[in-house]
Amino acid sequence: MTEPADLALREQFSTPALREQFSNIDQQRESSTLGMWIFIITEMMLFGGLFVAFTVYRLRYPHAFLTGSSEMEFTLGAVNTAVLICSSLTMALAEWYAEQGKGLRCAILLLATAVIGAVFVGIKFFEYYLHFRDHKMPAFGFSASGGLAPQIQLFFVFYFLMTGLHSLHLIIGIGLMLGMFAPAFSGVITAKYHTPIDNAGLYWHFIDVIWVFLYAIFYIPGAHLK
Amino acid sequence: MTAQENAAPSSQPSRSSLGATILTWVVLLGLTLLTSLLALVDLGAATPIIGIVIAVVQASLIALVLMHTLRGSPMVRVVAAGGVLWFLIMMLLTLTDYVTRGWLTASGK
Repeated sequence: MTEPADLALREQFSTPALREQFSNIDQQRESSTLGMWIFIITEMMLFGGLFVAFTVYRLRYPHAFLTGSSEMEFTLGAVNTAVLICSSLTMALAEWYAEQGKGLRCAILLLATAVIGAVFVGIKFFEYYLHFRDHKMPAFGFSASGGLAPQIQLFFVFYFLMTGLHSLHLIIGIGLMLGMFAPAFSGVITAKYHTPIDNAGLYWHFIDVIWVFLYAIFYIPGAHLK
Repeated sequence: MTAQENAAPSSQPSRSSLGATILTWVVLLGLTLLTSLLALVDLGAATPIIGIVIAVVQASLIALVLMHTLRGSPMVRVVAAGGVLWFLIMMLLTLTDYVTRGWLTASGK
């Protein structure tokens, strides 16, 4: 049964904070979180297929993939990992302030998360430029010495595909952060109703999870060969 | 609903504390430093394995603390854990197939 307080909450906003199909705000939040987790699991399947394909070829062409890894911009990759972890902190703090009902602080932290995410994308695209300049971009004048060139190119196909897909997710995440800014700033997000921030946070942290694995498979193995 | 009622936190405790969040951030940065330093040392075949193990630890910390599965509702925890479990089973079975092809010779081939 819907509580009177929840009915009042429903009437308070032009976009109802409590949708009519839910009895109370906690039930709505749990349903929403559950839906977000199911979405994240489908995303895991998407990236998981690519990780499996990478692993199969990594085991088939170990030397070529190790050589490919040694061509990575290791320092930029390490810096980017730290950058993304810092963005996860600002996101987590934004969620925490949203739960406390401090919309302004939440909005500022969402903006900080978007800016740090943009820094990550900027560094990533700079890396892409360096690979393009060094003829390591498949289908754009790729070249590698030795008989392993086709296999090294395959490594770079995986690299651009997987990190590109990750960057696309991050750009969508930045859009989400900017989209959440106005509701947080204007007071739509309250201690009672902060589900959109929670779900945006789940998405952002998931992007972080994907990146730590990308860093491990692309940057780590060949770093000592540089 | 009054402003005070609306500002009151939800009755459902589902979030990691601020201290745990910041501690997790520090540990995540420390693990990044550790894996990056270890990567510069030639540890042979152990290098990529150590990298993956540290990534698994980092991912687990993010999922448990920052994504709140540690303190989430039972339903969310079951769905998240079940999703990860079935995902790992699918990955394992697919890899088992691809990696072991050619290990056994079939007569006539």
